[in-house]
Amino acid sequence: MGDERSLFVQERHIKGGGKMAKKITIDPVTRIEGHLKIVVEVENGKVKDAWSSGTMARGFEAMLIGKDPRDASFVTSRFCGVCYSVHQLASARALDEAFGAKVPWGGNLIRNLVMGAEYVYDHLIHFYQLSALDYIDVMAIANYSGMDKDLLAVKDKIVGLVKTKDTYPLTPRYEPDEFTVKDPDMVIMAVKHYIDALKIHAEARNMGAIWGGRTPHYQNIVVGGVTSYPDINQVTRFRTMLDEQAKFVNEVYIPDVLSFGTGPLWPLAEMGLGGGHYNYLSYGDFQKDPAGKELIFPAGVIMGLNPAGIKVDPVDTKKITESVKYSWYRENKPVHPYNGEQVFNLDKKDAYTFVKAPRYDRKAMEVGPLARMLVAKHPDVLGLVGKGARPGAVVRHAARAIETKLIVDACYDWLDHLLTEMTKPGFKIHDTEHWDPPESGMGAGFHEAPRGALGHWIKIKNKKIDNYQAVVPSTWNASPRDEKEVRGQYEESLIGAPVPDPDNPINVVRVIRSFDPCLACAIHIIDPHTNEIKKFLIE
Amino acid sequence: MSTRQKENFVDKKFLEAVKSRGINRRDFLKYCAVTATVLGLSELEFTKKVAQAIDAASKKPPVMWIEGQACAGCTVSLTQNLNPPAASIILDQISIRYHHTVMASAGDIAERVYHDTVKQGGYMLLVEGAVPSADDRFCIEGGIPFRKRLEESAKNAAVIIAVGACSTYGGIPRATPSKGIPVSEALKRAGINKTVVNISTCPVHPDHLIGTILYVLVTGKAPELDVKGRPAMYFGDKLMHDNCRRRAHFDVGEFLKDWNDPKQKDWCLFEKGCKGPVSYIDCAIRRWNDGISFCLDCGGLCQACGEPNFYDKVTPLYTAESETSKKIWAMREACLFKKDT
Repeated sequence: MGDERSLFVQERHIKGGGKMAKKITIDPVTRIEGHLKIVVEVENGKVKDAWSSGTMARGFEAMLIGKDPRDASFVTSRFCGVCYSVHQLASARALDEAFGAKVPWGGNLIRNLVMGAEYVYDHLIHFYQLSALDYIDVMAIANYSGMDKDLLAVKDKIVGLVKTKDTYPLTPRYEPDEFTVKDPDMVIMAVKHYIDALKIHAEARNMGAIWGGRTPHYQNIVVGGVTSYPDINQVTRFRTMLDEQAKFVNEVYIPDVLSFGTGPLWPLAEMGLGGGHYNYLSYGDFQKDPAGKELIFPAGVIMGLNPAGIKVDPVDTKKITESVKYSWYRENKPVHPYNGEQVFNLDKKDAYTFVKAPRYDRKAMEVGPLARMLVAKHPDVLGLVGKGARPGAVVRHAARAIETKLIVDACYDWLDHLLTEMTKPGFKIHDTEHWDPPESGMGAGFHEAPRGALGHWIKIKNKKIDNYQAVVPSTWNASPRDEKEVRGQYEESLIGAPVPDPDNPINVVRVIRSFDPCLACAIHIIDPHTNEIKKFLIE
Repeated sequence: MSTRQKENFVDKKFLEAVKSRGINRRDFLKYCAVTATVLGLSELEFTKKVAQAIDAASKKPPVMWIEGQACAGCTVSLTQNLNPPAASIILDQISIRYHHTVMASAGDIAERVYHDTVKQGGYMLLVEGAVPSADDRFCIEGGIPFRKRLEESAKNAAVIIAVGACSTYGGIPRATPSKGIPVSEALKRAGINKTVVNISTCPVHPDHLIGTILYVLVTGKAPELDVKGRPAMYFGDKLMHDNCRRRAHFDVGEFLKDWNDPKQKDWCLFEKGCKGPVSYIDCAIRRWNDGISFCLDCGGLCQACGEPNFYDKVTPLYTAESETSKKIWAMREACLFKKDT
């Protein structure tokens, strides 16, 4: 602090306790993916206020203007290499509408199947590799006294690493707290599954590559459908690989999440850690039939959740606007994404992020698995809520596991449909009639990506891109305050989170990670009494 | 040679030493197989050489991975390696001191480790992502511009490896308002005269990356590079076009027009925008995802993502109207491509 590292010191007034609080200096901290930073103010052992900011931008949307519209699906896939290809699909769907293309059922089935593979990989890597360590004390493994050969091998591995005194990059870590699972039998099983999951989700990616060509970034999704004409061997291969995924999801992932969630983590579930605004949005996705009458994930909006009687309203995408009051873009009133722009203003006063603030009907929303499962009124999620769990971090993890099973089951149905389609004369995967860009047009493409509601909007003029905007799940969840000073969902969900020890903000980390942030985050903890800045990171 | 035979051959004492450092023997041997051919050695010789190299070093070699304007796709690509498993590389073979998505938490300590490692020097520096040249503020990491972090960590690095299209040649960020530039260019501008090993493609191929890391580990130096600064063993003169199974159709002028037509399924994708004829890379032989497929096998196109021209010179991607496509057609007309033999 105060050295050359303060090159980009931000000064901001924090409103708190009804009066303007002191001016504070935030030392930039991000050590890991420097894309998302979270600042929280802690008072009396609880989070009093929070700020979420993204600190990296490339300007993809601005760059796309003037390009051939078909470039968009390839280029936007590179928004993110972790949740790869979700943008490729949303973009292709926006182009479908703008070009007037009708994707054949065969093309949609293959799109669904490769995205199904992406889902399984993405949810598994999130739970095991990114989140699980927040809830278990790995060192408890040393106390494992069982005789299971596989588990003893896990014990040897961890103890072996410790003995070499070179445990990078596994150390250091947050100290376990009262909610941390310390039972050696449970912990060692979780760590074994952590190691197993590495292999399983790599195989899920290989499964998607059967038609996607390779991962990350599939190569087969284009406007009008897909490029991968399937053969029967591929269908069989996909099904065989899917069996392995289904086994792991049903026999390991779901039991793990439920036994942790309803067992040692039940107090966190009851407390509702990480709740937020309780507004949820799902665009709906994944057709069960050619007409798209039924969806695996239904569309809907829930405002101010009332668990006793969930009221789901239909989605009207015209109600989406984006505010840039606190973002590093040229000042603009909240507008619909069709009219959005990406003109940077890096000197803007009060701005603290590259993330815009999307709102639905002027309300901050949560998107993602919890939103989807609440909109769907899934009995397993409602069952947890009925038993006293408040929607928050723990229920979010449960919703993610439950929907993984829905997707796996759907993949089997899609494979059956695909086989039937393939044997029909005139089987199609692509609308070749509408391959060339129209003179002008506009289109919107929606996708329920693993992290939530995703939308792409395109305008075409003279066969070139005239405007392009994407509102991604992490934009909804990680958004800053809007023009009415309403916090984004990450920010709101942190309010009240217990942080008894500012040196060990494990609950803050648990909340943020439960959303599956696409990016790494940095957390600053500010003690308003001492003005001391503590620096923390979420990997 | 079976794994069992290999185990017998390699000094038991050494393998015990390996095991004591938490390395699974089987993984270690599989690992060696990956790059044996690369060094022109038999698998056996290579196994011995790696064994000696690791044994000679009293510690696992320190590695730092920094990320600028990137999508983390190269990191994800690395973790999908099954043989050897990514976990065995990350935990057993190298000592990752710094990596956003891999390292455990704690900012202050991570920062100290970073500075200690820079001070100590002699590490392998892996860089994912471009460096914004329009304004430092487009990529701030740890509160300092990514450019600055790159410069300070490059100075004391033993080897610098640029990972993926963005860090090697600028890739897509080069075409954006942030004006991303490659690692080599950023270092040149800062007056740092060091060799950068470019492992291009979007994202990086895990074999290319792991193979290069192993090469450095065993030989202590960078592999031979082609004229574009890439490991010659994977790029160089390995023209995609010469190994493409659609090649014969290019020569006779059979170009795919309709992805729905099974008859055209294997025809040349040039008219759809394929840039394979100017793409020097071994994808058509090596393939992706454990050999399951690759871009051209799913009816997708090669966009020459390993070439310095990617992306601004290969757009529009899905027609034959780009600068690059026009060049390919002119070369075809002038009979400049090797004939299929």
